[in-house]
Amino acid sequence: MSELSVKHLLGIKYLNEADIQLIFETADQFKEVINRSIKKVPSLRDITIANIFFENSTRTKLSFELAEKRLSADVINFSAAQSSVKKGETLIDTVNNILSMKVDMVVMRHPNPGAGIFLSKHVKASIVNAGDGAHEHPTQALLDSYSIREKLGDVTGKKVVIVGDILHSRVALSNIFALKLQGATVKVCGPKTLLPKHVESLGVKVETDLRKALNWCDVANMLRIQNERLDISYFPTTREYTQQFGVNKKLLDSLDKEIVIMHPGPINRGVEITSDVADSKQSIILNQVENGVAIRMAVLYLLASKIK
Amino acid sequence: MNLLIKAAKIIDVSNPELHSKKRDILIKNGKIEKIAAKIAPDHQTETVSLKNLHISLGWFDSGVCFGEPGFEERETIANGLETAAKSGFTDIVLNPNTHPVPDSSSDIVFLKNAAKGQVTGLHPLGTLTMKAQGNDLAELFDMKNTGAVGFYDFKHPMENANLLKIALQYVSNFGGLAYSFPMDAAIAGKGNVNEGESAVRLGLKGIPALAEELRIARDLFILEYTGGKLHIPTLSTARSVKLIADAKKKGLDISCSVAIHNLLYTDSKLEEFDAAYKVMPPLRTKVDTKALIKGVKEGSIDFVTSDHIPMNIEEKQVEFENAAYGTIGLESSFGILNRIFETETAIGLLTKGRERYGMEQPKIKEGEAANLTLFDPEVKYRFEAKNIHSTSKNSMFLGAGLKGKVYGVIHNGRTLF
Repeated sequence: MSELSVKHLLGIKYLNEADIQLIFETADQFKEVINRSIKKVPSLRDITIANIFFENSTRTKLSFELAEKRLSADVINFSAAQSSVKKGETLIDTVNNILSMKVDMVVMRHPNPGAGIFLSKHVKASIVNAGDGAHEHPTQALLDSYSIREKLGDVTGKKVVIVGDILHSRVALSNIFALKLQGATVKVCGPKTLLPKHVESLGVKVETDLRKALNWCDVANMLRIQNERLDISYFPTTREYTQQFGVNKKLLDSLDKEIVIMHPGPINRGVEITSDVADSKQSIILNQVENGVAIRMAVLYLLASKIK
Repeated sequence: MNLLIKAAKIIDVSNPELHSKKRDILIKNGKIEKIAAKIAPDHQTETVSLKNLHISLGWFDSGVCFGEPGFEERETIANGLETAAKSGFTDIVLNPNTHPVPDSSSDIVFLKNAAKGQVTGLHPLGTLTMKAQGNDLAELFDMKNTGAVGFYDFKHPMENANLLKIALQYVSNFGGLAYSFPMDAAIAGKGNVNEGESAVRLGLKGIPALAEELRIARDLFILEYTGGKLHIPTLSTARSVKLIADAKKKGLDISCSVAIHNLLYTDSKLEEFDAAYKVMPPLRTKVDTKALIKGVKEGSIDFVTSDHIPMNIEEKQVEFENAAYGTIGLESSFGILNRIFETETAIGLLTKGRERYGMEQPKIKEGEAANLTLFDPEVKYRFEAKNIHSTSKNSMFLGAGLKGKVYGVIHNGRTLF
């Protein structure tokens, strides 16, 4: 198979296993490209991509923009702060206006779950979901799995624990779908207040004891606690959260085996993980960032090839 | 005008003499003049002869919204009532979902006047509190005197338990019917769908069944203390049915309803983030639909309602979280109920409930005013946009297979076919 089964990348749950393998194999090639002295290829010359961000983002936006530029695409950026959304324009109108200027692909971040799916039914462009509320963040999950594959050789059969705020996390949901699809075993760990009541219906197990979870796993993906975005208090203080769900070097060294530490960033140093953990050789956090560009290049390239 | 209805099979279980019999029915000046096996037409009589014609008492819906005043773009009273008539309903209770809300007798008079001369009767609810804000009681007695059949802060939970206590005590002086929307707002939080497996998969915020059940439990305790008449509109969970059934066994004066869509669909419909399925209370699970259907059959749930809420496309064709709640349902009510239940049961559900609102129950009897619905219960069809009479087209049933079609209604001395 040399093409994706989908026209858009709206979520991992719309992909099959072959799609993921194809994206990884394509990313392998692009990873080699971005490590050359000339990092740019002409693959998407004459393709115009709009990065539409209705929610703040630094690293995802940068990563997409870099991926687009490395592929020689023409790039325009649009963010809600400077938009007509505040003037009451609907999402469909906003995007159709941009598409009228002959844009081929849309990379969109939006605070509402399902916004990309909704948009894909009403506009003519290939859509890449760069995060839609607490629904999915597919490129993050792809780059996470890709980084596990790179570090451990394979994702199949690996044991992964996702730690933190599962309730509000698109990263967690996409990761669960992606890891399960590739045959990994997944546990989630965090305070009960931040675990969806029906989370086990996703085929994951719940572990509320961090030490047990870490002793079980091959990989721990530590999610960022986004206290500033929570509408009510789900735990008394960050300090108390860290006491129960933070990973420090002492805890890491006391485990029976050497596990891999991941984090989607940005890290709250001293909260989810301490600095010595983040900077340890077990951490692959910066590899994730690098792989993010390769994965996004692969996704954009594969989707663009379906337009032509 | 005289009308002779030929060979209509009468569906009316309360009337064993006529139930399931084929009869000719002569209507003269809005009254049922004669019911007999065969009636010969005279030259002044218009004859109605339709394929597989069935006839029942006119249908009743206890919870319908239009938009007038304030939201005429959603639905006007005139077109709303015409839609109800074309859908087989001869009487509807109008929810106070307008702008401004009807919280005074003059508002009620406006609604009653706007409905004059229509086939379908409009029976408005007033709000329970001023501006439906949940702070101070509205002038309930005055509204009752001008035609309000009950009092409801439409889909707004009554957070102040003491105010509900006072309201129930106050309306019991004059036999008023108070509503309480079953939702604990704090537990529901920012949820907009059922808390369940679908919500987890979709990253949508869920409303736990607990939010509804906790509120019903509270209200039942209050009702037990105060006495009076309480109506809980639109249940959605299995445990709510049990709470109400237990309260009825205790002898409390409680009634409740369920929206037809909560009988048919579950939250699995949300998979594509289609706002057509965004309703309040939300679509729940299979366990809930089963319990709700059982509750309807056993009588724990008093009424089924279309919970008809017209919404213009601008409020529905947006991101799921930004979309308005509600679906229209009048046009599809019969076709769905007749699919879920036996025709006899469906008609039983569509014809009961008027007494709860102080309205007289019509009869199929010589000398009585004609309040009748004519239909064919066998015809099967796919529900499409062309079947919608409402101004707004926000139906979650588009594409659904329905069973049974309405021919028309006779009521208020008028006919509509």
